[in-house]
Amino acid sequence: MTVITESVRAHRSLWGDAFIRLRRNRLAITGGVIILLVALTTIIYPFLSKYDFASQDLDSVLTGPSKEHWLGTDELGRDVLTRLIFGARTSLAVGIFTQLIVLGIGLPIGAISGAAGGKIDNFIMRFVDVMYAFPDLLLIILLRAILGGSIYMIFFAIGLVSWVGVARLVRGQTLSLKQRDFVTAARVSGGSGSYVTTRHLIPNSLGPVIVAVTFNIPRAIFAEAALAYIGIGVKPPTPSWGAMIRDGNNVIFAAPHLVLFPAIAIAILMLSFTFLGDGLRDALDPRLRR
Amino acid sequence: MSDAPLLDVRDLSVNFHTQDGIVRAVDGVSYNVSRGETIALVGESGCGKTVSALSILRLIPDPPGKIVSGQTLFDGQDLLSLPANRMEDIRGDRIAMIFQEPLTSLDPVLTIGRQITEALERHRDMHGHVAMEEAIRLLKLVGIPQPDQRVKDYPHQFSGGMRQRAMIALAISCEPELIIADEPTTVVDVTIQAQLLELIRSITERLNTALILITHNLGIVARYARRVYVMYAGHIVEHGSALDIYQRPYHPYTKGLLASVPRLDEPRKIRLQPVEGQPPDLIQLPKGCAFGPRCAGCTDGCRESSPPLIEIAPGHFAACS
Amino acid sequence: MTKYIIQRIFWLFVVLFVVSFITFSLMHLVPGGPWDREKALDERVVAALNAKYGLDKPFIVQFGNYIAGIFRGDLGVSYSRQDRDVTAILLEGLPKTATLGITAFILAILIGVPLGMAAALKQNSIIDYISVLFATVFASIPGFVLGILLMIIFSVTLHWLPTGGWGSVRQVIMPAFALATLPAAFIARITRASTLEVMRQDYVRTARAMGIKHRVILIRHILRNALIPVITVAGPELAFLVSGSFIIENLFSIPGIGRLFVNGVFARDYGLIMGTILFYAFAVAFINLVVDIMYGVIDPRIRYD
Repeated sequence: MTVITESVRAHRSLWGDAFIRLRRNRLAITGGVIILLVALTTIIYPFLSKYDFASQDLDSVLTGPSKEHWLGTDELGRDVLTRLIFGARTSLAVGIFTQLIVLGIGLPIGAISGAAGGKIDNFIMRFVDVMYAFPDLLLIILLRAILGGSIYMIFFAIGLVSWVGVARLVRGQTLSLKQRDFVTAARVSGGSGSYVTTRHLIPNSLGPVIVAVTFNIPRAIFAEAALAYIGIGVKPPTPSWGAMIRDGNNVIFAAPHLVLFPAIAIAILMLSFTFLGDGLRDALDPRLRR
Repeated sequence: MSDAPLLDVRDLSVNFHTQDGIVRAVDGVSYNVSRGETIALVGESGCGKTVSALSILRLIPDPPGKIVSGQTLFDGQDLLSLPANRMEDIRGDRIAMIFQEPLTSLDPVLTIGRQITEALERHRDMHGHVAMEEAIRLLKLVGIPQPDQRVKDYPHQFSGGMRQRAMIALAISCEPELIIADEPTTVVDVTIQAQLLELIRSITERLNTALILITHNLGIVARYARRVYVMYAGHIVEHGSALDIYQRPYHPYTKGLLASVPRLDEPRKIRLQPVEGQPPDLIQLPKGCAFGPRCAGCTDGCRESSPPLIEIAPGHFAACS
Repeated sequence: MTKYIIQRIFWLFVVLFVVSFITFSLMHLVPGGPWDREKALDERVVAALNAKYGLDKPFIVQFGNYIAGIFRGDLGVSYSRQDRDVTAILLEGLPKTATLGITAFILAILIGVPLGMAAALKQNSIIDYISVLFATVFASIPGFVLGILLMIIFSVTLHWLPTGGWGSVRQVIMPAFALATLPAAFIARITRASTLEVMRQDYVRTARAMGIKHRVILIRHILRNALIPVITVAGPELAFLVSGSFIIENLFSIPGIGRLFVNGVFARDYGLIMGTILFYAFAVAFINLVVDIMYGVIDPRIRYD
């Protein structure tokens, strides 16, 4: 009989494939690079700068950008560039640590809800609906009022409000994976519940969760800036971009740069994470695989 | 039929540009239909029959598709060289199409009636009440019960068979001279299939409409088509009268297709004989005959160059050495 | 359909109830009390005040009284401004917040929908590229950052627009735009994706096969189908606008509900805090309900389920 030949395409794992696609996305790479640069700067800068974020120089107040102070000084003579960079540290910290809390609460709740199904799932989902009904920022403010102004409490306040999205996502993933044949196969082969969860459920949900978290970070950064702007952010003198805007707003006509720089900084950082998130989402979308 | 054919497709070639390469979906295909005649275009999925049909109406999405050569003469005029707005006038009015999947082919947010009156407004200048009456008449013609009520229903409220009848109603609404039916019965079950085909036949007879019946199911073709074209990998590999094809198939692919159709007059215990092998990768076609890798009688000559269509008997052509 | 609506309304009340309970509880966890001032008040005065406002009663009783009050339209009394009750204060701020929110919403739709559609219809053209860039960039920049930039450009540098306050049309422009850009970007993105999706659908091909003119297909088939997912998104966006505007209100010194809330938190004005959160929660839930119903009107498939 005749021999039939087929062409076989090279096999690539989901992660390898995703990484290659991500690399091609210039916006995402730009975002990632910016984030990395900012992070590095916040670490290295304290060793290089002669200014501290709190040191005041009442002789040169509200000056514009100059050789001495690259981005000028604020109303207390503090160096704006230094405060900006330390503010970046606060923002990055908030962005990342809140996500740890979000994952810590959202992942298990979502997984349990999806895996358990039935009444437990129902109950948890109703609760999630209620959480969705709360206006985010208002709840964060209320929690902040209760928990106080240390930066850890701020992580907590923001994290406590933001876990809902991830929980819903993980639940959805768990539900659909539950139906999939390979899970049934694993269980039939004798895999216990937790085995199935760790070897199969988690790696498969990881993609969308990573994307969700990457998109959550700018929201957390914004929340912190908003809190600081209203005046209930991190306790001074820890710099925060939001606080800088608030203070600068009073002298906006005299020294707009005090408000401009932190505003632009917030925008750039948020944009970077969003570009990265977009890129990750496209890279990890299994439907786009060839 | 002494008249020139109503539709004359000459040497049509259509390519699709994909990430993996250029797909030669239709390669030098020619066929024709005369007024009032029914022909069948037969072949497995992916052989290019739907693409060639869509090309007639110039509905190939560009990108990624492109009609690279050929002519489609309709009533003497080459459709491919018409300006776009003239083509728009012809679509629906003189040539209509029935699609395979009626659920997705009908707009879910508009009533069936509205979709029909839309065509009537466009080509027959019928509006309002008059158009609606006509839509009801059409629904009745295709055998939809309680047409005056159903005309106000939405597609998802119809069953599969009813939806296809509605599509037929839409297609005939402006009394076209040619109807292209692309796998009109694939999504319905066998009993409805027979009803729908009978419906199509009676309508085309009554209105003297030419019909191109596209299908992969040789079983239904014999009763309805006068002539049959068999396609494989973008080429016509055999064509002739229905009788020729069924009783004297020449090309190995045609023979294979016929052999794989279950027949009521054969004992049940006989195993079905599928055509050996896999459908070809249209990006990397073999140099010679496209069917070669699957053909038991493939010779070196076949592998060298693709055999042309030769007339093996009056009116019966095959592309095989 | 009616059953669906009734179910949703019932659920609305349940959610609001739980929200009030959670908020009520949280409020009582805030350290300090409503009477804390710079100088500590005399204990007996505090006790008397607490008794007057029923703050000495057990938690459940207080909560029960509060809920009962809501049905009468009474949201309690503002503790920081004891001559006013909360409902009155909210009603005073409401028109400003609502006007701002609705204006921003209309702006967002007027910018977002055409931009998204144009991008989809002329894929890979300049318009597509610009619109995608606009959508991505402005979807990430928070409103108040944009507000600041606008203020710097138009108030500080050009002196064209005032920096804040309320009352004239000129004062609405910047805050409305600042508020609108994020939802606009979001809506543009969804509209584009949705339009692209619809354009590929079989029924569009059927309409073309029937020779329907392109413009007609666009309006009758594409627009309506493409807008369905957009509405789903637009609803929550409106809710967000009405509730999330308060930072903008702060920035532009608009005496709306947002400002009241922030002041309330600082003053530990329980009444005001509760009232505001409830108001927002209700507004969000109500708007979502309206969107759900509209969804049923537009998409017949939902209606007949």
